[in-house]
Amino acid sequence: MSSHIERPRYQCALGGALVTINSIDRAVAIVHAAPGCAASADGAATVGGGYWGTTETDGRATPSTNIVEREVIFGGEERLAEQIAATLEVVDADLYAVITGCMTDIIGDDVRSVVSEFQRQGKPVIVAETGGFKGDSTVGADFIWEAIFSQFVAKGLPKDARRVNLFGFVPAQDVFWRGNLLELKRLLGLLGIEANTFLTPQDRLKELKEASRASLNIVFSDVHGVKPAKLFEELHGTPFVTEPLPIGPTATEAFLRRIASLLKVDEETAEFAIAQEKAYYYSFINPMTDLVNDQDFQRFGIVIGNANYSYAVTRFISEDLGWLPYLAAVTDLLHDDQQQAVIERLETLPADYRPKVIFETDTDRITARLQEILEQEEDPYGNPIHPAFVIGSNLDRPLAAGIKAGFWGVSYPITNRIVTDQFYVGFRGGLRLATELISVLVANR
Amino acid sequence: MGLKTDKVVPGREDRVQACMAHGGCASGIGGQDKICLKNNERGFSQAGLCQLLPTLGMLLTLPETAVIVHGAIGCGSTGFAMNTSIKLHHLLRGNPNAKDSLWFTTNLDESDVVHGGEKRLEETILAVHEKYRPASIIVLQSCTPSIIGDDLVGVIEKLRPQIDTPLLYSHCEGFKTKVWATGYDVAFHAMFNGFIERDKEGPPPRKAPRKPGERPQVNIINLASMGKPDELELERILNAIGIDVVIGPNFADREKIRSMTQADLNVSVCPTHDDYLIEYLHEEYGIPYVLKDMPIGLENTRNWVLDIARHFGLEDKALAFIETEEAKARQAVQRFLPQLKGVRVFLSAGEFRALVTGGLFQELGMEIVGLRSYHHDDFGTDFYRKLVQAQDGKDFPIDIANFQPFELVNLLKKVEPDLFCGHVFDNAWAARLGYPCITIFRIFDHYLGYRGFYEVAKKAARNLKNHNFNKKLSQNVRDAYKKEWYAKSPFAYIKSDSVEPPVEPATRAA
Repeated sequence: MSSHIERPRYQCALGGALVTINSIDRAVAIVHAAPGCAASADGAATVGGGYWGTTETDGRATPSTNIVEREVIFGGEERLAEQIAATLEVVDADLYAVITGCMTDIIGDDVRSVVSEFQRQGKPVIVAETGGFKGDSTVGADFIWEAIFSQFVAKGLPKDARRVNLFGFVPAQDVFWRGNLLELKRLLGLLGIEANTFLTPQDRLKELKEASRASLNIVFSDVHGVKPAKLFEELHGTPFVTEPLPIGPTATEAFLRRIASLLKVDEETAEFAIAQEKAYYYSFINPMTDLVNDQDFQRFGIVIGNANYSYAVTRFISEDLGWLPYLAAVTDLLHDDQQQAVIERLETLPADYRPKVIFETDTDRITARLQEILEQEEDPYGNPIHPAFVIGSNLDRPLAAGIKAGFWGVSYPITNRIVTDQFYVGFRGGLRLATELISVLVANR
Repeated sequence: MGLKTDKVVPGREDRVQACMAHGGCASGIGGQDKICLKNNERGFSQAGLCQLLPTLGMLLTLPETAVIVHGAIGCGSTGFAMNTSIKLHHLLRGNPNAKDSLWFTTNLDESDVVHGGEKRLEETILAVHEKYRPASIIVLQSCTPSIIGDDLVGVIEKLRPQIDTPLLYSHCEGFKTKVWATGYDVAFHAMFNGFIERDKEGPPPRKAPRKPGERPQVNIINLASMGKPDELELERILNAIGIDVVIGPNFADREKIRSMTQADLNVSVCPTHDDYLIEYLHEEYGIPYVLKDMPIGLENTRNWVLDIARHFGLEDKALAFIETEEAKARQAVQRFLPQLKGVRVFLSAGEFRALVTGGLFQELGMEIVGLRSYHHDDFGTDFYRKLVQAQDGKDFPIDIANFQPFELVNLLKKVEPDLFCGHVFDNAWAARLGYPCITIFRIFDHYLGYRGFYEVAKKAARNLKNHNFNKKLSQNVRDAYKKEWYAKSPFAYIKSDSVEPPVEPATRAA
């Protein structure tokens, strides 16, 4: 059962669908909702995503029916049809995605029938019902991917043995989604694999249209994007694997080996790529050795983030940085089976490095749970996890201050720096994260 | 109808016949049938705001307050973006350690939509009260609970006797009004209903008449679009002519808001923003008001100050002060004037702010060539005419639009201004076309009064001197709209009941 949430870390379902469409080349959303829904839905993401910002067809330029009382009483189908036709006239795009808000879902507008009329005329219009009360942004992202796979992606294309699609990212919920996807594409390219990423400014809509050519879908999440990947498999016959987000040399090496083996990449190519990248990582880490050892920069780690980041960051700080994960707080709103998947993933960590795991979305409840856990520790000086470091979101700064821990933000929302093409995945992403965490420790010098 | 009796604040389309969709010439505004104008709509529209957003933005400024957004999870999701801006406000107010704002969502899901959300709301209010003991708890009712029939006021009244924290509420459902500026009224309603009308101590008594020799005290009603530098400037001006100032109700606590009933005069900085509140304080507390100018630019500031001074017989003192200040400001902008002379400006913001800023630019020797207002109501009508008169009758196109960047971009391509001055989130559209831009407000800068006059001139000159960022950007971004769109009138999608023919702004080349 749901409950109230303090300082929510997500948008609603509409928001997740909207930011996904906004990230796709030449795609534009048509929001069928009350005025303000689109602004709420992406307003938070475009600030909290490291000042992601807006481009030509999103933000305040998002086509929106802005329905008011009259439509709520008499129905909004006519207004939607008018808006779709006008959007096709005015906005220069190749994919038009109708998504809905609470009001239109509650009053029961038959949006599918409105849209099917345009589809019948061959217009590239798709539809997903994304009323905000149906869930958070990750749920909405799943809805729109399902709509894309069933209503837009071409069927019956021949498979390409070396082509994969990357899924599991919700723009802004992963503040670094663009950089992460581009780096994953580069890494897979080293193995001779062509990876479609769809959600970066470097992608083209044609790749999405022809996504069914891929012979494998890689979902970088145990929970988000899994449902659409199953639908993709049913519709287009492409199987999928779920992979944790690979941050740092240990995780990335394992990731590349698994994919190389699945796609039958020759061993020499894979080994060469891994060796090169690992050498790159250590060529920059090596000179930091004095600092890290002399200054005792090992920390107890508290990682607060979504299902993808809580595991990935915990693994990096334990296996590569040599820290001690103490607590992983998973902030998504998850069903029991999804929570189980996240727990199972965290249990793959060696027992000594396995943090206590909690599922809480409010900073405030996380703080309370942490206090409860700390009170059970037997430490006569009352300081069982000193020195500690919190890796979370901007909302978690007071928690870090409360336990006198270092702090760095990698999770949504991030409002104290600009994020463009930075990334944390791979060898080089691990290097970036190591650099940033240790920079915090020397920041006052 | 009014703040005292309203449970639900009426939309501005009903209260003041506000219009959201109109295209035409500055000289023509005011001549149309108001009812026709308010019924204008768009066949193609882009995202606007809803009244919940300004309401949330204003109420989050109240210190030590908890705001509960009753609805689905998304309606409270912009809270932290507002929190960021509010923290900056606090920083400018010398309060760097201000706590984060406190906001919640009742997180209604599919099952709540079926079963109702009153119980969740009740639980949330009690939990928030128990845990934080905030100075007040404010509930914002969004669309979903409203349509499923949750009785917001019923829940509040039920809990009022149980807890000692002031409970404030606002009906700010997005679908209830086209005019999001209604949110200002809703926020004022929440504050004055909760802290005065429904306060446990009841409304404060009316103030006794001022004793001879007692310095007059005025309320300045502040806006989210007014930073500390502007507040200081207005305080400086009024203090100098012998008037004490209370600034609120944004960022004010219960005591300060209650003290606003004890002023000798209410002073609006923006009539569009404040009329609902000022009317209430006039009727209930007999406080006279000044509600017609915004102190931006020399003439508007002069009128604003003199209007206030007149209430207290301080005109002579005010005039002497104004003369000195104007002379200083005119002297200060001398070095920018050669660069600004004849520069063609396009303005975009809330109607009143855009209009009076136009006056400021004209005082600097610039010409207004286009103006976009977020909505239109009668408070602005005369100012359109004044702007046209001040440039020897040279008319200019206006677009009444709750954003609608497709109309703006079309209009800009026809008008080709030299400088764009817009509200935050407006400038990007002109920037991508390569025009130099200055924002019409930032909470860090001066815009009002004499200092504002100088700073805006300086900022305009600075941005005109180097706008390479925008110039280069314009060569490297794609166009969002089909080229056929630019062949049409920017107002082609406005559907009007009015018989007035649509106005085609001439392209500059024509």
